[in-house]
Amino acid sequence: MTVKLDRRSFIKSAAATSAVATAASLFPGISFADWKKQTGSNGMITWKKAPCRFCGTGCGVLVGVSGDRAVAVKGDPKCSVNKGLCCVKGYHSVQALYGKDRLTRAQVRKNGKMVEVPVSEALDLIAAKMKETIKKHGKDSVAIYGSGQWTIPDGYVASKLFKGCIGTNNVEANARLCMASAVTGFLTSFGLDEPMGCYEDIENANVFVTWGNNMAEMHPVLFSRMLAARKRKKDVILIDFATRTTRTSQAADKSILFRPQTDLAVANAICHEIIRNNWVNWDFVNKHVSFHKGKTNIGYGLEDHFAFKDKAENMTFEEYKEFLREYTPEKVEKISGVPAKDIRYLASLYGDPKKKVTSFWCMGMNQHTRGTWINNLVYNIHLLVGKISTPGNSPFSLTGQPSACGTVREVGTLTHKLPHGVVMKEEARKMAAEIWDVPVSNIDPKPTYHTVEMFRALDRGDIRFMWIQVTNPMVTMPKLKRYRNGALKEDRFIVVSDVYPTPTTDVADVILPAAMWVEQEGMFGNSERRTQHFEQIVPPPGEAMSDTWQIIEVARRLGFEKQFPWGKDEYIGKIWEEYRRFHASPKHNMAPYEVLKKRSGVQWPFVNGRETRWRYNAKYDPAVSNGEEFHFYGKKDNRAWIWARPYEPAAESPDQEYNFWLNTGRVIEHWHTGSMTRRVPILHNAVPSSYVEINPEDAAELGVVNGEMVKIISRRGEIVMPASINGRGVPPRGMVFVPFFDEKYLINEVTLDAFCPISKQPDYKKCAVRLEKA
Amino acid sequence: MPILSYIAGPREGKKQELLEELNRLNYCEAFPADNVDILILVTDTPDKETEEALQKRLKHMKNMESLSMTFGYNDELYEGERNDSEA
Amino acid sequence: MKKTDTLMGRLGLGIASLCLAGAMTAGFAVAAPGIPHDFDSKGEKIFNRYNETPLPAMTGTDGKRTLNTFYELRQYPGSPPRIPHKIPTSFSGEIFECISCHGRGGYVAELDAYAPVTPHPENEACFQCHVPRLTEKLFVENDWQSIEPPVIGRPQLGGSPPPIPHSLQLREDCIACHTGNGAVAEIRVEHGSRGNCRQCHVPMVATKPVKEFTRPSK
Repeated sequence: MTVKLDRRSFIKSAAATSAVATAASLFPGISFADWKKQTGSNGMITWKKAPCRFCGTGCGVLVGVSGDRAVAVKGDPKCSVNKGLCCVKGYHSVQALYGKDRLTRAQVRKNGKMVEVPVSEALDLIAAKMKETIKKHGKDSVAIYGSGQWTIPDGYVASKLFKGCIGTNNVEANARLCMASAVTGFLTSFGLDEPMGCYEDIENANVFVTWGNNMAEMHPVLFSRMLAARKRKKDVILIDFATRTTRTSQAADKSILFRPQTDLAVANAICHEIIRNNWVNWDFVNKHVSFHKGKTNIGYGLEDHFAFKDKAENMTFEEYKEFLREYTPEKVEKISGVPAKDIRYLASLYGDPKKKVTSFWCMGMNQHTRGTWINNLVYNIHLLVGKISTPGNSPFSLTGQPSACGTVREVGTLTHKLPHGVVMKEEARKMAAEIWDVPVSNIDPKPTYHTVEMFRALDRGDIRFMWIQVTNPMVTMPKLKRYRNGALKEDRFIVVSDVYPTPTTDVADVILPAAMWVEQEGMFGNSERRTQHFEQIVPPPGEAMSDTWQIIEVARRLGFEKQFPWGKDEYIGKIWEEYRRFHASPKHNMAPYEVLKKRSGVQWPFVNGRETRWRYNAKYDPAVSNGEEFHFYGKKDNRAWIWARPYEPAAESPDQEYNFWLNTGRVIEHWHTGSMTRRVPILHNAVPSSYVEINPEDAAELGVVNGEMVKIISRRGEIVMPASINGRGVPPRGMVFVPFFDEKYLINEVTLDAFCPISKQPDYKKCAVRLEKA
Repeated sequence: MPILSYIAGPREGKKQELLEELNRLNYCEAFPADNVDILILVTDTPDKETEEALQKRLKHMKNMESLSMTFGYNDELYEGERNDSEA
Repeated sequence: MKKTDTLMGRLGLGIASLCLAGAMTAGFAVAAPGIPHDFDSKGEKIFNRYNETPLPAMTGTDGKRTLNTFYELRQYPGSPPRIPHKIPTSFSGEIFECISCHGRGGYVAELDAYAPVTPHPENEACFQCHVPRLTEKLFVENDWQSIEPPVIGRPQLGGSPPPIPHSLQLREDCIACHTGNGAVAEIRVEHGSRGNCRQCHVPMVATKPVKEFTRPSK
């Protein structure tokens, strides 16, 4: 009944809005103090700042609050990220708080059925189950799987409880599925994670190259910033370098398509041409770059317990040049399908000393079985020509989640990481033990499982208890069936903290209702090293509480009151100040709590009250100490590393039987698995269901017209879904593309769980399928 | 079960009276503009008969000079259309 | 109120407006081999128009066209408007003659008005859909009734970007109709300079029922 009423009151408010709008057009300047009366509030809106809940861009939004409800959103003009503009998701984000099936009570599985219980009972059960599991199967049988949507305090307390108190490194986050290759790319090339540049590069560059990155839909606010710069400056061009034609290609000055996986070869060919034409910035290279190679034929991680460790060897420039001999534009044209002249053109853009070049990438390069390598290779290009760490010259790795950087990368909620450093290093363990007030022996020096292996361990029974927060792995895990069946096995205990029912809560033994976004205080960290604080703006519904507080409650039940002593009105500030101690150095200093509260985001390193826009550049970065213009202080040799990384094929490529590439991704309207955006009426109405994009010629051969059902079959599974021809994007012949937001069409039943052996990030962009008219 | 909104113009000097009168009626919610002599009226009736009766009533209010509709929504229409909504 | 209206006058103006606004003739340079360029509701048009239209041409307003005059020329929301001005009887209907004014807009001295810009200049046979009215007398009376046009400016939240209430077919180029001097006053936007319209505005067609999300049943 209440549902109906809510809907009617929504329509009534739309009716009133419409009348007010009409009146305003008839009587300019008319005002209605009483407008909101009918919804029971006083009509006043107060605006509170927050970062947007969705992607990693980190737009500043102002949330309009009336009474205890969020009622409107506008872009925060004070936020340098978006300067007052949002995208359609951001503008309607507050509606995602009010879906009618919002989880407001805890639920526990009793005799196979989910039953509502008081939240304290659910928390008791979780703690008891954890104790029991640890007793029976050891500490490494319990795990927590979090998210790049965890607030920074969420991730911090998770790491502290599991790594510091319980003593297991079973801490992972879904950012492994989206950012891991970016991290290993940064670490192998520069020794420190996260971009050197910032969004101001957009106003300074002359050339943008989007590497497998449909920014028009995935980072729309940054994309419009880029279009505005192009329009204003006239000497700006945008090259879309991708495997599929998208909205970004439409806006680009040139769209270049390559065959999946062959970006590796093209990047090397660009370097080949830069060297052949002597466009190398020798001054920069001689001072700041060293050359290296690693292992080759490194595998795809398809088997359980797969292990790989790279070994870096030094090489000379001459040896590097010799390595590139294989990658002439003509040879690479054969591999990649990119005309040699286009490769030369790309090289000439990077090579032209008068042009400032920014490369953007996101999932295309990261979800790649050679994700670390392709990150390295794009850095190689920028390093050879010295186009890095200066305004407009920027290899820029974008993120997809609001706090993939802030929480997962900076707090280090990955199996091998601590908030500062890695578990393998004794100093890092000592530092953590001291700040966390635990014996150093608590912290296990051996990493356990990365995400895919963690779900394999759950399937095998090595892990018996898993707590999943703010993420939806039963939609997002590749080769989904194995991991869903694993989670459903007898004697597995799954706790899920979320805001809506999802395929993941469907497999839960306990569901905890979580506070969402501005229903709690917290911080996110965006793609450009910006930490963004938000206060609690509206109350959470029912018994929902923040993920941080859920973990604190369980930690106390496990006997760790000493490590989790904070009160409910102060815990976020206290946690922040404790966490900040990990990063106290000019290379990573974070802003104090009081500063974060005042500003619309603060970039780290935050040193002596100043944010660092461009790292490694003496003009901007206080950590530079070598007296030179640049200082790549992340590596022991104080240089940035160029890596010889060859082209190696994908884990599975189309063949006679499975003759299509399957590529997966997103659309502008929906964010990730759609658990929030599908509950926003305007977004759901714009894209109500998923589809499979097929090239029009392939569709004709298959005899399928727009909207007809197609069966997609891989070696893992099959799925039937409607065809989209000349829809949002167009794949080339021999490829199909499916957005993954729709739980009705779980495309990950079909995908492959191959991953980059260095980053352990799966490749969702490439596997082989065949199609049938359904 | 329609929801409708209107701009209502009161007879001169009767804005407050009309506002009170409208808010006393069942199925009606009205609120005034601060600086112009008009009211916004939102009606929400449970069925066709009530709707018709209400409309008749509105037409004959002596403090009302004009009434123009700005928004109409009808549940029944939507229920009927819902079947072909899967695109 | 009689307005003299000659083709020559408008042609002269059309040429002037060439300088005012960039052209819509720029080809679809970005389409990759084998990829059609009309996908995503011809989304390319918005980007091209945005890039090629100078900011002043997006920001002016003469306020002469209103929704009333707009719908007067149409039989139902979305029908092709009739041609409201005189055209010479010898007019051949060739694209250049219409497009000289309606391709880019610009001031037409003869009509003392700005020409509205067509959102679909690639359809060259204008007369296929747009016809003049030579007489107001009907052959036989007709009991035609249309529906109310979509209510404009109905954001989901106070201040949120309103959805696109109409279908995008033949109306893909937002900037053509929603910016500039020739735009209908009520639907003109103040922020044409932002360019990537569908970043914020997504279709929610007024004549289609609203869908509610429910989880698929198993």
